[in-house]
Amino acid sequence: MKTDVAVIGTGLSALAAARTVQQAGRQVVLVWPGLSSLYFLFATIDVIGYPTATATESVADPAEAVARLITREPSHPYARAGMDAVHAGTRLMLEWFKEAGLAWQGALNRNFLLPTATGTPKPCCLAPASMTAGDLSRPEPIVFCGFTGYQDFAPELAASNLKRQWGAADVSAIRVTAPGYGPDRLFTSVDLARSFEDATFRDAVAAQLREHVSGDGARVGVPGVLGLTRPGETFAAFQEAVGHPVFEIPTVPPSVIALRLFDRLRKHLQEAGIEIIWAAPAHAAQVTDERCRSVLLKAAGHEFPVEAASYVVALEDWVDGAFRAGVHTVRDPFFHEPITWNKVPTDRTAESLFSTQPFEQVGYALTDRLQPADENGKPLARNVFCAGGAMAGYDPSGTKSRGGMAIATGYRAAREALAA
Amino acid sequence: MITEEFEPTTDTVEEEASVEACTKCTACNTVCPVARSTDIFRGPKALGPDMERFRSPQEAAVTPGLDLCSGCKLCEVTCPSQVSIQEYIRRAQNQGAREKGRSLRDWVLGRTRLLGRLGSMTAPLANFGNSNPLFRVLMERFVGIHRRRPLPKYQWLTFERWFKRHPRPVKSRRKVAYFYGCWVNYNDRRLGERAVAILERNGIEVVVPHQQCCGIPAVVNSNMDLARRYGQQNVRHLTPVAQEMDIVASSTSCGLMLKHDYGHLLDIPGSERLGAKTYDIMEYLWMLHEAGELDTDFQTVPMRLLYHAPCHLKSHGIGYPAMRLLRLIPGVKLEEVDEGCCGISGTFGVKVEKYDLSMKIGRRLFDAVKAAGSDYVLADCETCRMQVEHGAGATSAHPLEILAKAYGHG
Repeated sequence: MKTDVAVIGTGLSALAAARTVQQAGRQVVLVWPGLSSLYFLFATIDVIGYPTATATESVADPAEAVARLITREPSHPYARAGMDAVHAGTRLMLEWFKEAGLAWQGALNRNFLLPTATGTPKPCCLAPASMTAGDLSRPEPIVFCGFTGYQDFAPELAASNLKRQWGAADVSAIRVTAPGYGPDRLFTSVDLARSFEDATFRDAVAAQLREHVSGDGARVGVPGVLGLTRPGETFAAFQEAVGHPVFEIPTVPPSVIALRLFDRLRKHLQEAGIEIIWAAPAHAAQVTDERCRSVLLKAAGHEFPVEAASYVVALEDWVDGAFRAGVHTVRDPFFHEPITWNKVPTDRTAESLFSTQPFEQVGYALTDRLQPADENGKPLARNVFCAGGAMAGYDPSGTKSRGGMAIATGYRAAREALAA
Repeated sequence: MITEEFEPTTDTVEEEASVEACTKCTACNTVCPVARSTDIFRGPKALGPDMERFRSPQEAAVTPGLDLCSGCKLCEVTCPSQVSIQEYIRRAQNQGAREKGRSLRDWVLGRTRLLGRLGSMTAPLANFGNSNPLFRVLMERFVGIHRRRPLPKYQWLTFERWFKRHPRPVKSRRKVAYFYGCWVNYNDRRLGERAVAILERNGIEVVVPHQQCCGIPAVVNSNMDLARRYGQQNVRHLTPVAQEMDIVASSTSCGLMLKHDYGHLLDIPGSERLGAKTYDIMEYLWMLHEAGELDTDFQTVPMRLLYHAPCHLKSHGIGYPAMRLLRLIPGVKLEEVDEGCCGISGTFGVKVEKYDLSMKIGRRLFDAVKAAGSDYVLADCETCRMQVEHGAGATSAHPLEILAKAYGHG
């Protein structure tokens, strides 16, 4: 099929790119190779939490910290996207969230410090309104509340860790029962989230909380399961029934907070008439005279060609199969070019799971306009632009920049695609 | 030291994907319509790639809730690693049925063509029986077909016989072979007539080659051997045709069988050549449009339409060509419902023990359809249309019907 711009990917960078093209009044198609990590493990949009991967002091002013990072590391994905893309992309997304009915808070000049499910304070820039009452810069006591039988959130662990790491504050833990969730039932955050949309269920949980949480001004942290399809409503109703400020804490996958974000944005694009090609991984780019003429999708039975004037490749390297790793080389699914890779296999991973992993750095070498390039810096195709995890050196984990980097690069790649 | 260069043995991610490719991300569980609607079903991840490690071809798979997988394949659509989740479940279901034996009902439901032949031969009687409350109570008791599930009406004149008498166009630019499927042949000849009229209007001669049931009813009733037999017959009949022309199907799931499942699920040798030449009819018409060959001299059709994308259409990997086409028609107001699976999944929602579950799965869609209000709810799949009519009390049609209206056919 034909379109102005084809965006390949379904993560945050792909969505940001699609929205950018749409806002510019051009036709865009989103090619869906399966769900991205956005669907199940995202929660907040972190622009920059730590100045470097090894720093222990968190960032207070993300915009300023990104500007400094750009000066220090000119080949960093943030530097390639540029400071303008950080600002414009973030503005674009916040406006979009509002239009799509998602209540989010935050700005580029400050970070929230929000507790994780293990009780670690985590800096993040933009967050759903249902999470921000957990901000650790606020003084109120915190009560972590878990649900009996729900294994993905242990309030005692969160409380003891936070007490240790955050110091003096008054932190405690309780558990309540969720009606219908007996010891024999296997369930996940998604099941709980669906139940929370039911007023009777919600009120039964809230009643137990009212009973257990004493003291004025205490705020209650619950796992992020407060509704799946009408998040704002469910959250507001629950908070009112509890009678204390409530905040959600993101869970391990599936992250309901991520599901809400993704599902709403996807539907919003579809409502605007933007087509999503499901279940069709892209597996070849047809390039002649330095231009990509079509991208072939692996559809059922045959190849499905998408012909666009320009393309945004916004894949997340490993998660959605953008790259295939062999022992000595990595190949990409579009140009089938070997991509620079640590020659010694044992150098690709760091021993600790929590260290920066060298394999995260693998990706397309890029031109200044974010075009994937060969080893001499020449674009592989003049009308293909890269965003997100498939860029070389893209590793948001250490600096806590997942989200910010996706948006800035997605926005910039889409602008380049529009100009191509 | 490893010195050999690793080269993948196949060239697509899909073919390489195996249980090992599952990263346990649970994306499939979150979209599974069955897992959403019942606690007994442990979700595609557990029943597919997780359990697959414990299965062997020698033993039957006994996992509680296994037969509740309706086969919508949304798990596979969702999977970031392109794991064939539903295929693992399907094979296990089939293995279990092979050892335990199949009920009379499942034996019959897998044979749509036999049912169709009997039904159309005895059309008035069959239709009377299928809508007679007393008969339906007996049918529920002795066969296991839920009494409240409306069954399709049979027609005396089949599409095959209609087409034999249909005059061939004098002039044509090209030929296309039509895979009409059991539904058009025995239950909805009119849809087939529309398909033929629309193709002929665009200068295409329609050829109707000899064909068998696509086999999906047999697959979903855990009789893959029967499905394979049907598939082999179709490959034998249709492959020579496919060398000369494209094949179009007007049923989403029939099309998916020909395109994909003959090769991947049923391992029918040589089926890839047939799959490569098979198109969904809306996909084909959109290709004509992009090639500048579609007659877009449409009449105004002032209608409010809702579009429900069938789950199996998503598995085609071609987007929603029906929506693209209908948006070309002046007057059409078209919206997507986007509330996921309708719940019927072919013969799944017909069965006495699954009817309630099937209606529960579809509730979100029914509510949205009722709230929106429309002239028609459009869906490319016939059982989706049955379910929407039954659950939401709406009038449903194949998108081709609207295209036919725009060309002035009723």
